[in-house]
Amino acid sequence: MNLLLVVPLLVPLATAAATILLARSPRAVRAASFAGAAAFLAAAVALLGATLDGTILVTQAGAWAAPFGISLVADRFAAAMVLVAALLLAAVVAYSVRGVDAARERAGYHPLLHVLSMGVSGAFLTGDLFNLYVWFEVMLMGSFVLVSLGGERAQLQGALKYVVLNLVSSALFLAGAGLLYGSVGTLNMADAAVALRELPAQGLPSVVASLFLLAFGIKAAAFPLFFWLPASYHTPPMPVAALFAGLLTKVGVYALVRVLTLVFVRDTAFTGPLLLAVAALTMVTGVLGAMAQGDVRKILSFHIVSQIGYMLMGLGLGTRLALAGTVFYVLHHIVVKANLFLVAGAMRRAGGSFSLDRLGSLLARSPLLAAAFLVPAVSLAGLPPLSGFWAKYLLVRAGLEAGNGTIVAVALAVSLLTLFSMTKIWNEAFWKPAPAGADAAPAPLTTAERASLLGPVLVLGAVTVAIGLGAGVLYRFADAAAAQLLDPDLYVRAVLGARDGRM
Amino acid sequence: MIVAVLSTFAVAALAPLLEKRLGRRAAPLLALVPAGLFVSLARHVPEVSAGGARTDALGWIAELGVSLSFRLDGLSLLMALVVTGVGAVVLLYAGSYMEGHPRRGNLLGYLLAFLAAMLGLVLSDNLVGLFVFWEATSLLSYVLIGFEREKAEVRASALQALLVTGGGGLALLAGFVLLGQAGGSLEIGALAANAEAVKASPLYLPALLLVLLGAFTKSAQVPFHFWLPDAMAAPAPVSTFLHSATMVKAGVFLLARLHPTLGGTPEWTGIVTTVGAATMLTGALLAVGQRDLKRLLAYSTVSALGSLVMLVGVGTPAALAAAMVLLLAHALYKGALFLVAGIVDHETGTRDVASLGGLFRALPVTAVAAAAAAFSMAGLPPLLGFVSKELLYDAALRASPAPLLLVPVAVGSNMLLVAVALSVGWGPFTGRAGETPKAPHEAPAAMWAGPLLLGLGSLAAGLFSGAISPFVSSAAAAALGAPHALTLELWHGFNLVLAKSLATLVVGVALFAARGRIRSLAGSLAPLAAFGPGRLYRAGLAGLVRLAKGTAALLSSGSLRQDLRIVLAATVALAAPLLLTRAVLGAPDALRSVRPLEAVLALLVVAGAVATLLAGSRLAAVVALGVTGFGVALLFLVFGAPDLAMTQFAVETLSVLLFVAVLRRLPRLQSRSAPRARVVDALLAGAVGAVMTGLVLAVHAEPLRSSLAPFFRESSLALAKGRNVVNVILVDFRGLDTLGEITVLGVAALGVWSLVRLRIASRGAGANGGRS
Amino acid sequence: MTLLLALAIGALYAAGTYLLLRRSAIRVVFGLALLGYASNLLVFTAGRLSREGPPIVPEGAATAAATSADPLPQALVLTAIVIGFGVQAFALVLLKRTCQEAGTDDVDAMREET
Repeated sequence: MNLLLVVPLLVPLATAAATILLARSPRAVRAASFAGAAAFLAAAVALLGATLDGTILVTQAGAWAAPFGISLVADRFAAAMVLVAALLLAAVVAYSVRGVDAARERAGYHPLLHVLSMGVSGAFLTGDLFNLYVWFEVMLMGSFVLVSLGGERAQLQGALKYVVLNLVSSALFLAGAGLLYGSVGTLNMADAAVALRELPAQGLPSVVASLFLLAFGIKAAAFPLFFWLPASYHTPPMPVAALFAGLLTKVGVYALVRVLTLVFVRDTAFTGPLLLAVAALTMVTGVLGAMAQGDVRKILSFHIVSQIGYMLMGLGLGTRLALAGTVFYVLHHIVVKANLFLVAGAMRRAGGSFSLDRLGSLLARSPLLAAAFLVPAVSLAGLPPLSGFWAKYLLVRAGLEAGNGTIVAVALAVSLLTLFSMTKIWNEAFWKPAPAGADAAPAPLTTAERASLLGPVLVLGAVTVAIGLGAGVLYRFADAAAAQLLDPDLYVRAVLGARDGRM
Repeated sequence: MIVAVLSTFAVAALAPLLEKRLGRRAAPLLALVPAGLFVSLARHVPEVSAGGARTDALGWIAELGVSLSFRLDGLSLLMALVVTGVGAVVLLYAGSYMEGHPRRGNLLGYLLAFLAAMLGLVLSDNLVGLFVFWEATSLLSYVLIGFEREKAEVRASALQALLVTGGGGLALLAGFVLLGQAGGSLEIGALAANAEAVKASPLYLPALLLVLLGAFTKSAQVPFHFWLPDAMAAPAPVSTFLHSATMVKAGVFLLARLHPTLGGTPEWTGIVTTVGAATMLTGALLAVGQRDLKRLLAYSTVSALGSLVMLVGVGTPAALAAAMVLLLAHALYKGALFLVAGIVDHETGTRDVASLGGLFRALPVTAVAAAAAAFSMAGLPPLLGFVSKELLYDAALRASPAPLLLVPVAVGSNMLLVAVALSVGWGPFTGRAGETPKAPHEAPAAMWAGPLLLGLGSLAAGLFSGAISPFVSSAAAAALGAPHALTLELWHGFNLVLAKSLATLVVGVALFAARGRIRSLAGSLAPLAAFGPGRLYRAGLAGLVRLAKGTAALLSSGSLRQDLRIVLAATVALAAPLLLTRAVLGAPDALRSVRPLEAVLALLVVAGAVATLLAGSRLAAVVALGVTGFGVALLFLVFGAPDLAMTQFAVETLSVLLFVAVLRRLPRLQSRSAPRARVVDALLAGAVGAVMTGLVLAVHAEPLRSSLAPFFRESSLALAKGRNVVNVILVDFRGLDTLGEITVLGVAALGVWSLVRLRIASRGAGANGGRS
Repeated sequence: MTLLLALAIGALYAAGTYLLLRRSAIRVVFGLALLGYASNLLVFTAGRLSREGPPIVPEGAATAAATSADPLPQALVLTAIVIGFGVQAFALVLLKRTCQEAGTDDVDAMREET
């Protein structure tokens, strides 16, 4: 039993339980919540450390050998995803000290954050398709409650759409899992991968695969399945939106990467062009949607969609460089996107609104806030030397090396429009003088607010800068992760190595 | 070198703090940074002139050939000296120009950061490294143009510059990647060594076009020139530094840098020369009609950039040498004139040339600097401008493809530019004093020192042009990719070139004398400007925003039903064709017989679903739903799953109770959909149902061979000590599922509790988030 | 019988889908419930139907009968039923609160005031 794989599930669960038990004292809840997040982060660091040399860590839950029990598996990609999730959770918990109202905190806000994280880390680490469904449901249930917590009207309406569309996804996923078992007789991903090798590439499993693609496509907010996202992400408090924006869609992307590189690997003649077409449409519709918005939160929400397109682009191209680009993009994007939502919350606090019409002169009011915005915004727009540039560079290069100029042209054009969108926020909220007739300027941020709201933002910003300046380090990692993904045998051998009886 | 560039960025970050501490003394202190760099760079001139080069490298993504590698050769040293030299002057000037401005420290910081980026750009020998600095200069240009951000048109100009150069930058990125693919390296030096392979590659043309797009947008070539005059919204030191002396030359620099790799082909010569010549002429024509000092200078800069591009396009040794001299001469005289324009604006409160005159009395030193610069620009001997114009004419005359076209364009443009030069550097200082908003006084020394230095530089470089010949030759050699020796001389004897120079001066002076009439003519032609590419940009942007709004309205209708329809339609669209083409759809072999009880239960389930569909009241629907639920439970029971049946019964009972409890408080069921919507929905629903039925049947086309079921049946008791295999799986084999399941239930309970308990009153849009 | 159940499953999906597309939010929740039944029944059926009795090790025997129903799909469905119940209960309360706040159960009326 490798504890490294179990701790990332147990720590959030224990923290959730602790924060429920301590509910009477908000201070104790926050302390426990932060301690839990820190422990999760430490566990994630240890997990990543153990996978860096190429080891694929495997634990068979309950010590039942694969494929009979449930395997927990961590390769480089999975471990890195857990680490970024943990980093984000810690940032969000710290931000929540000032970024969330006391009423929500009393109503179970902190336990929900941790349950959500547990679901997310379970989804990254499981090697079993039905178990993945279960973790998706844990994650979804946590997010359902978080998105509706507070019960404001806009929030509830957004939540209803979010819930219904995600349940459709769950239904498709569940059906897919059942049908897969019905056709290959296993749910263990490694085992299914082996079983599928003996079947024709374009047989029934490839039909079943379409249900997975749809279910994960909805989660990932790919075109044309992304509607739940812009309908709901702007409604909850910003730390919640940040966590969602950073993690939830990326779990969908992760699942797509996992099943398409491990399980359904042999139908690339069909999935490749499909993914590229979806990627292009996702990029374009997302960015156009963003351009039409005048609310910071909605602009950011649509950009999530747009950038999912880039991640799918790498997966669709399918070369090693392209997959490395996807891995790089996902990791960078989680940090940057969540950060922007956190900044949006701070902008609301400093400027009194989320609406660009009513915001203004934030640069004069808080240069620190402006800097905190600029780093993730410039990175999102893909300008060097920040993380987003390298992510884009890898994908553009992969696309051109694969001879696919069209997708590259789309990706570059969309990146220009992303830049436009970010400068729109900058122009309107930071440069423009505060509009006359707007509400009186809110009081300047207190020291405590600066620490709680801007502290996490600056830490995430520093990560973005570090990724950019040390791009070689993350590239080497992403490349190694991509190599692992492209050789499913490594995964299969790690999971099924000893097939008989108890271990 | 790398350390120098990076530490300049660090100093830039500290500049605002320094300014806060030291006030007006900060700018001279900060100017010492580029001045020091200038001196240390200048020490390499002899070595570089002799053909030497220095390199420095720092890996970035070594595996992909991405690095920060610097190369100091003639070309980069020339550019670096311009950047640091003009930079030092501009910083000194800016401190005084921005006296009393609350954000002076920020401006100094941005300028210094820009300087570092520009230095990195010209020193880079790696395409991606160069690109990083390239984009940094675009971004800093955005920030600097928008420095006086309170005005809407300033913000629009900043954005325009960013989008035009940023768009070109993206093309450049793609071009660089293709170039790297074609040449097998991202190092510019290695590419030049491999130039034949690059030119033979099928990627050559796309790479060339993309690189040119990047260079042309940055260097404001037709039809992208429109952003540059609008960028004059920036404060004078910014215009001087970025939009005249350095950043706009980045495109020219890049073309020169890549000339050994990409140049010399018919495509290169044809496109680059044509665009350059067109820009030279367009800029000059648009310049003469302007009244605003800075716009006059901006358009003349466009024209000069066109000349430079044209020369690089021609690509002969003579042309490249001419380009290098013109680059230096232009930086000196145009930098000086922009600074002078700033002083005039600063001291008189206007930049309208029509109302300026006789300023020599009030601003004698400035006037001297202005005259020196203007004469250089006009091509008067013995200034450097004269030398460069001679070389330009000479190169045009000897251009291989079309001297007949290039020579008239070059001479004509320069005639116009003589008039422009005199309008800026002569007209305002001579003649009758005009009516100005402020009574002019001589500017402080920190301001006039710069233009004076640059003006005298034009003179010195002209007089001693022989002395700078080896250095300029080494720059030309770097652009040529081969050694080149050129001797600059003021006096070439009486020849065709000199005749053209004289004609240029004569006609130029005549045009200057007629400037009043030209301006009124230009004024009457002004409405034509509305058809320029600037209008296209604005219309394009507006169109894009309209398209975006349309797309957004189409895609995020805000209607859950519409969203669901799309998702479901996508499901059918993806799954149905696959099902039809790839799966075997037949009646399954398994369990073909039908027993009456089973059939009744199946019908019961369907009947319940249909009844739910048709139910007119809430209660009836709940009952019908319950029928389906219990029917499903009984099916479980019949097919060997008593545990499932029990669970389903229990859950069903609870569900019905819950439904009844909740629905009592909700509105009655109503039928609201239009008949057409019903038909569409029914078709869609039918398709979804058919797909799912098809999938179930397809799965049954082959027998299921699972090793799992036998294992569980056999090991349940032996290994896990349980007789009920399903329970054993749940609590043991797949205990992790159950852990997740319990968590979901717990969270659902928490969610129900919090939904019931926590109500934050809605206070309109955006009332949430933060405890404000 | 498999064919019959396959058709029934399709009917459940169709009915559930149709209800999801109604304007009345209450019907939407009914639709979700039907989709839940449909998916559970699908998983159960895809794991093959058996009339040979439940997978239980009889007293005195060491293993369950080799012909008994496949226990794994049953375990999966059981998990899914319980999860589905939790989700549905939450969805129902969410529906109630949303209708209260919005003052209607018409999903088409639940748009943002912009």
